[in-house]
Amino acid sequence: MMKIVVGQGSCGIAAGAGKTYEAIKACMTEQEPFELGSTGCNGMCFLEPIVDIYDGHKLVKRLVNVSADKAEAVVSAVRAGDLSGLSEMVIKPEDEEFLTQQTRIALRNCGIIDPEDIASYKERDGYKALEKVLTSMTPEEVIEEIKVSGLAGRGGAGFPTWFKWNAARQSPGEEKYLICNADEGDPGAFMDRAVIESDPHNLIEGMMIAAYAIGASEAIVYVRAEYPLAIIHLNEAIRQAREAGYIGQNILGTGFSCEFRYMAGAGAFVCGEETALIESLEGKRGMPRLKPPFPAAAGYKMKPSNINNVETFANVAWIILNGGEKFAAMGTENSKGTKVFALTGKIRRGGLVEIPMGQTLRHVIFDIGGGIREDKKIKAVQLGGPSGGCIPEHLLDTVIDYKALSATGAIMGSGGMVVMDENTCMVGMAKFFLDFTSKESCGKCVHCRIGTRRMLEILNRIVEGNGKDGDIELLEELCYSIKDGALCGLGQTAPNPVLTTIRYFRDEYEAHIGEKRCPAAECRDLLMYYIDPDKCKGCTACARKCPADAISGTVKSAHSIDPEKCIKCGTCKSTCKFDAIYVK
Amino acid sequence: MSDCCCKDENMKALDKVLDECGHDAGNLITILQNAQEIYGYLPSEIIYYVASQTGISPARVMGVATFYSQFRLEPVGKYLIMLCKGTACHVNGSDTLEDVICSELGISNGQTTSDGIFSLKTVACLGCCSLSPVMMINDEVFGLLTSDKVIGILNDFRKKAQEEGGTQA
Amino acid sequence: MEQIKITINGKECIGNKGDSILKIATANGVYIPTLCHFEGVKDYGACGICLVEGEGLPKLMRACSTAAADGWVLSTETDRVKKARKIALELLMSDHDGDCVGPCSLNCPAGTDAQGYIKQIALGNDYQAVKIVKETNPLPASIGRVCPHPCEKNCRRRFVEQPMSIAYMKYFAADRDLHLTSPYDGVTDGTVFRGGMDGKCGISIPPTYKPEVKKATGKKVAVIGGGPGGLTAAFFLRRNGHEVTVYDAMPEMGGMLRYGIPEYRLPKRILHREIAEIANLGVKLVNNVRIGGEASPAAFTGAEVISLESLRKDYDAVVIAVGAWKSSSVGCPGEDAEGVLGGIDFLRDVALAVQPYDPEGTLSRPINIGKKVAIVGGGNTAMDACRTAVRLGAEDVYVIYRRTRNEMPADEEEIDDAIEEGVTFKFLTNPAEIISENGKVKRIKLQVMELGEPDASGRRSPVPVEGKFEILDVDTVIAAIGQKLDPTGFEELEFNRKGIITADEATFRTNLEGVFAIGDATNKGADIAIAAIGEGNKAALVVDSYLNGEIIPYKKPFVSERDEETVKKELAEREKAARVIMPKRTPEERRHDFKEVNLGFAEEDVRKEAARCLECGCHDYEDCRLIFTARREEICPARLKGQHHPGFVEQKLVSIERNQNKCILCNLCIRTCDENAKKGILGLVGRGFTSVIKPEFNDPSVIAGCKDCHLCADACPTGALKIIG
Repeated sequence: MMKIVVGQGSCGIAAGAGKTYEAIKACMTEQEPFELGSTGCNGMCFLEPIVDIYDGHKLVKRLVNVSADKAEAVVSAVRAGDLSGLSEMVIKPEDEEFLTQQTRIALRNCGIIDPEDIASYKERDGYKALEKVLTSMTPEEVIEEIKVSGLAGRGGAGFPTWFKWNAARQSPGEEKYLICNADEGDPGAFMDRAVIESDPHNLIEGMMIAAYAIGASEAIVYVRAEYPLAIIHLNEAIRQAREAGYIGQNILGTGFSCEFRYMAGAGAFVCGEETALIESLEGKRGMPRLKPPFPAAAGYKMKPSNINNVETFANVAWIILNGGEKFAAMGTENSKGTKVFALTGKIRRGGLVEIPMGQTLRHVIFDIGGGIREDKKIKAVQLGGPSGGCIPEHLLDTVIDYKALSATGAIMGSGGMVVMDENTCMVGMAKFFLDFTSKESCGKCVHCRIGTRRMLEILNRIVEGNGKDGDIELLEELCYSIKDGALCGLGQTAPNPVLTTIRYFRDEYEAHIGEKRCPAAECRDLLMYYIDPDKCKGCTACARKCPADAISGTVKSAHSIDPEKCIKCGTCKSTCKFDAIYVK
Repeated sequence: MSDCCCKDENMKALDKVLDECGHDAGNLITILQNAQEIYGYLPSEIIYYVASQTGISPARVMGVATFYSQFRLEPVGKYLIMLCKGTACHVNGSDTLEDVICSELGISNGQTTSDGIFSLKTVACLGCCSLSPVMMINDEVFGLLTSDKVIGILNDFRKKAQEEGGTQA
Repeated sequence: MEQIKITINGKECIGNKGDSILKIATANGVYIPTLCHFEGVKDYGACGICLVEGEGLPKLMRACSTAAADGWVLSTETDRVKKARKIALELLMSDHDGDCVGPCSLNCPAGTDAQGYIKQIALGNDYQAVKIVKETNPLPASIGRVCPHPCEKNCRRRFVEQPMSIAYMKYFAADRDLHLTSPYDGVTDGTVFRGGMDGKCGISIPPTYKPEVKKATGKKVAVIGGGPGGLTAAFFLRRNGHEVTVYDAMPEMGGMLRYGIPEYRLPKRILHREIAEIANLGVKLVNNVRIGGEASPAAFTGAEVISLESLRKDYDAVVIAVGAWKSSSVGCPGEDAEGVLGGIDFLRDVALAVQPYDPEGTLSRPINIGKKVAIVGGGNTAMDACRTAVRLGAEDVYVIYRRTRNEMPADEEEIDDAIEEGVTFKFLTNPAEIISENGKVKRIKLQVMELGEPDASGRRSPVPVEGKFEILDVDTVIAAIGQKLDPTGFEELEFNRKGIITADEATFRTNLEGVFAIGDATNKGADIAIAAIGEGNKAALVVDSYLNGEIIPYKKPFVSERDEETVKKELAEREKAARVIMPKRTPEERRHDFKEVNLGFAEEDVRKEAARCLECGCHDYEDCRLIFTARREEICPARLKGQHHPGFVEQKLVSIERNQNKCILCNLCIRTCDENAKKGILGLVGRGFTSVIKPEFNDPSVIAGCKDCHLCADACPTGALKIIG
């Protein structure tokens, strides 16, 4: 039987997938020779809304950019069994490469199964790993298998997963907790959202295996409040898994019991730090605790606890079923398996990319991502968000590997990969991240609370053209001391975006300070807008749109901008059809 | 609670939440989230009530309510615009969109229009980076925004609010 | 309990396994600075001051909360730790919006704790007030009368209505301490009241304050010059137990206070009483002795001559405080004529003629200056000279000044007094020529000036209006335009280009070993008396350290200061209370004699005036752990100047005033309230940089319990919490 499946992840819906789904449904009669279903996100966000047409389990056509007005055409073609008329909508071969070049483990079910239906997950070997673990493996054997796989924490730090599990297992105490950090706070990363929205059972299964391994009596997902759809899907998946007997008392009759619940966070980036997350779970302000004690000894409710991130758990079931060695066969010496990246920014094909470790950044950006929009020049790629750094173009051949990336001053991070072109100001980028971290600082320690604020103030004055000689050195001095003095990971890594931009783009800082010039022509206070009289046709479009009434000129003659009045909003530039407005 | 329009009715709803959460201090965040669902924001009477019902000191409840960006101590407009300021959105021009929204509505971030229709709040990341720049109005996400698109969307909502009449809060 | 051994800053320390580094360090006498740690409260790790680095350990550790491991080798002084600690302190100070000490004290060259003594005066404790003043200034009754009071120029009360009358309050208290109700009342020469019962009221009156003198050190110091600077140095060196002798060329001690300031401003018996108090401590005062060479000025003639060299031999240290006693000349043709006098020469001549300790201030011999007198200059010496001329019977007294009143360096009050006494001010004029007949002054030709464009310093300099002159008939011309040092006898010393002794600004050392120099004779030259006193007390510290074997340069202590603009805004709405005005004798009365012009404050007025104090300086200054810690490092918070966290002052806690401006968010108040008081009243509100601490409670029993607890205030490392009522 044919099936029309609409991808309805958050970004699909944002692109109109919900309307498309409703429109298709509206076109259908009671008796159709096909079904309508939905799935999560396959990661090709740049083509949303995406509609897949299946014949049984076989994908026969992938239609892209299917807006609601095309529903009629899709329905009638499928109904007629003749899809040739849809060729306009069919994905282009080069765009298909976006997926074909990937190796998907964590994302293996995303965009394929129906996330709201446990049967759909089970059809793809779902819960087989949990069954295997509970029926044929000791917790120690599970930990050993994970050790063999070389799986490391995908939240960013890259700490060996087995080690944490083992520490929690060894920690004395009857009451233990297994916690999933789904507080994906890096602004620019959305892998975890995609997993929970599109494959929630995979997360549940991975967590239950871990819970068994450490001996936890309760597993808790701490999920970001900004992800309403993920919460809905997770909630439903927990209900179904409980009903199916995969969570709760005496699971699968093995005697193993473990409760499962989620808690929605309330908006605080610092809760990505594990002790802050625990505080938040306990209903408190999410302020990091002093370490030691580490969570493995005294975490949630001061009981032994283990915390991993969503992507880490998403690999677990696969490793158990396929063996740790197969996982470890992928990647590099010290970075095993695959890694998911949220590829965004000035990239042509943005979305979710899962590839084996060891490939180069250039491969991800150019081969998979299709390079830079409008064929502009790439300037840098940002990894690790507010904790990470900007890697310049000349280092794009760096391989994806925890150590190799750290050597550049950036970090692997949770998977945010934001591509920047020549029009992105790197000082502005540093300012953006410091603005973020200073707002998200919990305020506990001096170095982070006041330090990030002062760094932001210095960066602000630089982009406003008020930078002073010595500001770069002062920033560096602050950076090193904040790294040394801050209490938790947020503060200790907050200087990274500044340090890497100073390291690779010092000339941009110097231009802002010394020449009061923004080389990327992005910092508003340092810009002037001009009209090229040769190109201006006198169409008056810009003058009519200018909110500050700063443009004058008569019809069919060249216009000009009054710099006194200009508020540098850029409206004229985006309005002009003749490319006559330039910025200097 | 003297100012609250329908005290008993509202407290009943909150009591139900408190019962579900076992009046447990550990569930404070969930309780406050539900309270905000009910009242639209967290009035100080509610803060004190939750404190008395959970045994947490009012200072502690206040501390939690002001720590997380999701909580509001002031009512918001009928439509809450959450403008994403994540990295991808920043790279693709969300600052300009903020200017456009602010000038269009005559408010700045964190404020509500005098007619009570719109509130603007910038948020860290909505996780729709591939469609950046993005904003969310109540539960609806809008992606690949431009200045013109934003103005159009705001006009649609304004029209909708006028048709429906009345404001929340 | 298992014991472990660690090394901190090179010192081997023994502790129990599981103990924090800080605990072990403290038990072993190694100091590790911290602000957020407090005994009996759980550690929190906020301040980041207690960082230590361990050999072979990658990360810096917080000593307060890191359990030490056996064998660790730790340091608080590695480059990394020092940098991180420095930044932490700079960050804290850049966000700490408070005044350590009042701006009054900061502007006082002697750093006198004005706020401290004003508070005592407000409480009626005049003796206590004098004790505070005498920590920096041994001559409060004298200085209170004559000081141009830079303190008042900085007084924040000026943003409300007018500055406090600080100097005059000081002399009120000092007079009380000397048991004077008026400068001439019931005091016999040189006697010192030793306390006892007041015959009239039957109340116990404390004796005149006599500071403690430390155990004799056996070291000897010679001070050359008995002016305010020399006397101050002697006073403080004596208090430290050194044997001090002050030599002075004049017949009496006091220097310019004795021979420069006229009797009507400072009755000499007051000065004499204060100097007697210094002598009372055991300072030897030797008059009529001068150093080397020809006697200059002539007043020194007759003094015994000794050499600097002999003093160096006989004493362990020598402090030179000889002042600047030579008048500068007018510098125009005809200035050599008879009847052209130097300002300070003139004043000294009168001072020598005024009968000492005569309540009427009559002259022992006539001084003839004629009926028409012109004084050149716009400073306080010019004011003293013109008003003295009036008292000597001159009928037309002119002050010739090349700028306008706005630019005059003299005190406003002095100018007003002079005008009241009939002095004529010739602004925008400058002597062009002194015309004499038979060698005697007859007229003065004045060049008319106008103010030109402002110079680099922003001051508009006077320029001659070409061809425009004015002529005055005069009998005497007094040049009060400056004073210089007479270097005679000090030839071995190094002088600067202006002929002034070069002394190190932080140690007062001269080029000669063991010889220090202060006051008008050094560096920048002549200044006001309180500046000399300031150098006197700083030099005493340095010389004391020198005598103890290692010279410790004087370093201005780092203090936190609030932004004036912010304060100005805060004070805009403050309730006004007018400054109490010093009652004075009428001009008609006073222009005929040398009796003191000021009548002194009434007690009621002085208490009222003292109560106007805004108490800008921090109540916790002495005990503040923040400033104590900050001063241990070389910090420069100004480079990290930025926005302050949200601040406010509130009294929601019944008996505690909370000043959020000063809060450093160490959370000790919250933690003590939670853990020790078990109240949970205080909590953090907001997040990050904008978080503040606020009380939140609505239970009357909790409020009552809060009232008497004060544990939070005890734990606060700064002055953010103040117990009131």
